[in-house]
Formats: sequence, structure tokens, C-alpha cells
Amino acid sequence: MKLRTLALLPLLVLAGCKPTAKELKIGVSAPTTGSISATGQSAKNAIALVQDEINAGGGVQVGDKQVKVRFILEDDEDKPESTATVFQKLINQDKVLAIVGSYTSKCSNAGAPIAEASGIPVVSPWSTNPNVTKGRKFIFRACFIDPFQGRVVAQFATSKLKAKTGAVLYDVASDYNKGIAEVFRDEFTKMGGKIVGFETYNTKDTDFSAQLTKIKGSNPEVLFLPNYFNEVPLQIQQARKLGLTAVMLGGDGWDNPELVKLGGKVMDGNYFSNHYSPDIDNPVAKGFIAKYKARFGLVPDAAAALTYDSANLILKAVATAGKADSKAIRDALAATVGFQGVTGNITYGGGGDPVKGAVVIKVEDGKFVFDSAVNP
Amino acid sequence: MDTIIQQLFNAAQLGAVYALIALGYSMVYGIIRLINFAHGDIFMLGGFIGLLLTTRFGWMPFYLLLPLAMLLTALVGVTIERVAYRRLRNAQRMSVVITTLGVGIFLENLVRLTVGPETRQIPAGLPSAPVVWLQQHLGAFVTWDKLLIILISLALMAILWLVVNRTLIGTAMRAVADNKDAVPLMGVNLNLVIAVTFAIGSALAAAGGIFYGQAYSIDPYMGIDLGWKAFIAAVIGGIGSIEGAVLGSFLLAGVEVITVAYLSSNLKNGIAFGLLILLLLVWPWGIMGKPTLKKV
Repeated sequence: MKLRTLALLPLLVLAGCKPTAKELKIGVSAPTTGSISATGQSAKNAIALVQDEINAGGGVQVGDKQVKVRFILEDDEDKPESTATVFQKLINQDKVLAIVGSYTSKCSNAGAPIAEASGIPVVSPWSTNPNVTKGRKFIFRACFIDPFQGRVVAQFATSKLKAKTGAVLYDVASDYNKGIAEVFRDEFTKMGGKIVGFETYNTKDTDFSAQLTKIKGSNPEVLFLPNYFNEVPLQIQQARKLGLTAVMLGGDGWDNPELVKLGGKVMDGNYFSNHYSPDIDNPVAKGFIAKYKARFGLVPDAAAALTYDSANLILKAVATAGKADSKAIRDALAATVGFQGVTGNITYGGGGDPVKGAVVIKVEDGKFVFDSAVNP
Repeated sequence: MDTIIQQLFNAAQLGAVYALIALGYSMVYGIIRLINFAHGDIFMLGGFIGLLLTTRFGWMPFYLLLPLAMLLTALVGVTIERVAYRRLRNAQRMSVVITTLGVGIFLENLVRLTVGPETRQIPAGLPSAPVVWLQQHLGAFVTWDKLLIILISLALMAILWLVVNRTLIGTAMRAVADNKDAVPLMGVNLNLVIAVTFAIGSALAAAGGIFYGQAYSIDPYMGIDLGWKAFIAAVIGGIGSIEGAVLGSFLLAGVEVITVAYLSSNLKNGIAFGLLILLLLVWPWGIMGKPTLKKV
């Protein structure tokens, strides 16, 4: 730690000596190593794409001149303590105007207070926990928040599937599951549906047959399972073995290849909400996906798409603000209306959580297929 | 209500698996007064041995796979007893209890490292079509695998009862349970009797693990929670008693399922264990357990 700080000292001196008006600096805090390094790699790719795009056009328009943009990416290792260090370094040493990051909610919650205190605007691409932006003026996110998915799925169930009755089975010991489940229950009822079963289990439970049998007794048309991909296939399997025929619904916790690996055929014909789908019909997304594929040879995942949108949100706010000033950029961000991103249109309705759409994905033959877009 | 019958089958299936684990706890305790905390992990290992056999030897029918996995797990159980527990048989009680915990953690990590931490299922070896007769006559949707798991488990328990009560080795086991110190004086090989007990307990746990992997799922840490549940079931029934272990298991599973079905899934563990504490207050030695008197 000491050594690292010492090693950075010359940089600090250099940064202090050289005025950097010629170049606009934006920080990125992403987990490029550690357990979710695949997400960090997606972030790195998307950032490289944004930087090249904007600079190829001469840079971002600030007032009456064009300024080149430089993204400074630091590894936060998906650890809250490292994220705090990264945020401090980006703000105090690199003097960035704004930050893209971090990724998991626990890391964003560690970095956000530092940025908030320094008045540096942050756009987190991937942190869906409601607390990340709560009570903070400078913290934004490009993704929807967890409870929103409950509403999306309720809307999908009532309007697209025309379901009149629904049931829920969720892990009562996990905030993510519980939050979405409760919102779904309330919204589904508000939209004219009837909740005929609201059952719980605890993390690590593997036998759901008693709850599912009880749900079967009330014969719902849809069963909402806002749980993670390692449990959902087992729940559906047990449900089918008990004679439950309801259509199964879920949230972005389903979005992992393990879902189909574990569940196989039983997953087909069910739906879940997600941030984005690679086969979404949206011109911005199509352009992004084509460029990303050509350069990195991969289909971009939700993290890449959300990173791309986060960085572009900041660049647009800089242009709108017309000056390289963090406070002005924050105000411009907060006033964003109808920003067209890869993951849909983004509008900030006052706070740091966007009003934006979600996609519903259908599992078909073991593949995730885009079904529809749901806008709030 | 057709769901009542279905819930009874749910409880019977869960109770059968609990019983297959609880028997191992109870038998080992009955014979050498040892609470083998690694037993839940033997159950887990049995499930994974079943998984490996089905994935490596896909052609193997279930009626061959089940005994083979039981045999392999029995060998592991005997090896653990020989390597880790036998030397400590006359050491202070706490040392060997700690050793069983250590063996359990070792097994969990062994499986996690070699197979991986993901949740898995044992590919269907039993038919999963619904039993038509039950559907037509009772209106209950019960699949064949559920019915077979219950029936095979009950058959295994019946075989165990016969072995313990009608064979020579069974007589020796009961004798050791009665007085461990006097039995070797009669020319009975104590080590052999204990090894056989571990083998039978491990084999039954393996059957439980395979059934669990078919009906629900398996992961390297499943032995912790289910081991505790089965241990509690054994204590409720009266640890050391075979009939008690079975009774306690079905009772625990029944209370769990009924709580979810007619009260609330939120209260499942609270009510189930609250009731079990009450039962222990009424029968401190378990329902079928005998008070042990300390000989001075």
C-alpha cells in the first residue's frame, strides 16, 4: 500500500505540473481481475469502443471547441475496499471529471460516498440495488433497479400473457428476491390480477415440493420465481413433477448459461426480464453489437452494453453542460431526457435511477430469445 | 382436497431420505456412543458417487447403479472409520467428535475441488411419468420416481431390520450396543462389528444421497443442513434406536410439510423445531429411546 502510494507520487507531481485542459479525463472503476473478471473485461472492451468512437470524431464538444477524451480504467477487483482506493485515486490524483462504475452494488456502495463528498458525478452501469443512489445527489446508474423488474414482469404477465391469476415462490432470506417478489405481488394486483399463492423458502433449501403443491392447489396461470439461476431450474422441475402447468416467470437472476445447463428442456417456454438482449431491434444496439463483434469477436453481454451507455451518458452530459465542470455535468446528467442507448431509452426523473425499459427474454430450445420490450 | 394426498407423498419422500441418513447416525451412536458428524457428508458423497456413475456409465440401469454406489460409499465409510476414528476409540470423547467434524469438512472440500461447487442433479434413472392409478382414483399427481423412492427406501429399512434382528452379525451388533467391553471377551471381533455398522450406515446414506439427487439436487455442502435435520430426527426418535430414527424422520418431514401446507412457509423451521423441542421435553430420551444409566 505504502509502496503503491509512493510509486504514484511522481504521477501526482506530473499531473500537478501539466495543465490538462487539452484533454478531458473520465475515470472507470471495473473488476478486471477477481471472481467476476469477465464482467470487468466487458467493461474494458466497451470503454475502448466509446473512447475510439468519440475521438475519431474529434472529441466531445465543450462549449465552442472540441476536446479529446481519455478514459482512465482502474481495477477494483470486485472488492469494496479496493473500490474505495480506486475512487480516491481517480478523484484526487487523476482529477477526473466523472466516473463510470463500479459494477456490483457492494462496490458501488463503497465508492459512491467518496464521489458524493468530492462532488464528482458517477454513473454505475450494473449496480441494481436501490441503496446505491438513495440520498445521493451525484450518483446515477444506467440500469434499472431491482423492484422495477417486479413491475415489468407483472405488466408482461397481465398484458401479454393475459394472466388473471398468479403465484410467487421466493427466497425470503435474500433482499434481491424478496424485493422483486413483493413489488410483483402489489403490481400484479393493481393491474387486475389476483395473487393466489405467495410462498417462501430459505437460501440453500432444495425441496420446494410442499410450497409448490400448495400453489398447485390454487391453480395459478403464472408462477413468478424471482430467484437465481442455480435454484430456478430445480423449482420448475419439481413444479412440473407435481403437475403444475403454470408459465414460469423470472428476473435478471436467471441470466446465466447455467440456467439451461441445469434445467435443460424444462426451461423452455418460460420468460424472464433482463436489461438487454443481443437480438433486440434497436438501431443504436445494432450498431454497437456489430462494432463490438467485429473488434472483440464476442457478442456483448448486458455489462458491456450498460458500460457503453454509461460512458455515453456522461459524454452527452459534458456536451450539454458546455463546460468541463463536474457540478455542471451532474446537473446535465440529472436533466437527461430520452437518451437513446443500447439498453433502451434513459430518462432521469429527478433521482439517479433511470426511467427506462426492460426486455423480456423467452427460453426456447435452450437459448435466450428476445420476446418483447417493456417500457414503463 | 387432492393436494392433501399429494402433500402426504411429499412428506413421505422427504421423510424417507431423512430416515436413510438418520439410521446411520443412530446405529453408530448405538454401538460406540459416537456422534459421527461426518455422516451428513457421507450422504453427500453417496449422491456424488451416484452422479459420477450415471455420467460415466450412462448405460448402467438404476437397479445396478444404486447398489454399486452404496457399496463404494460403504467402502469410504469403513475406510474413514479405520483411518480416522479407530485410534481414537478410547481417547476422550471430544477428540473424536472434533475428528468427525474435520472429516466432514475434508469431504466437502474434496468434492468441491474435484467436481466443482455447482448445484447438480442426478440424471433421471427412475421414470418420471405420473402414476395414473393415483391420479384417477385419488386425484393426486404423483410421479413414479417419487413413489419408487418411497418404496425402495422402505424396503431398505425392512432389510436393515432383518439384518439387525435375524442374523448373526446383527446379534453381534446388538450385543456390542449392549456392552461394548464384554463382547470381545466372548470372542466376537469388535473391529469387524464396528466396521460393518459403518458400512451399513454409509450405504444407506448413499441411497439417500442418490434419491435426493434424483428428486431434488445435490451440491458439496448439502450434507451440513440435511445432516443436521437427520441428526435431529434421530434424536427425536431416540438415538440408538433403529425404529426411532425412522419414526423421527417421518415425523419431522410430516411436520415440515404440514406447516408449509396449512400454516405458512415462513414459519416452516420455526414451527417444526419448536414442536420437536416440546416432544423432547415430554420424552427426554426420544420417543423410542431408552434412558441410559451410568454404571458406577
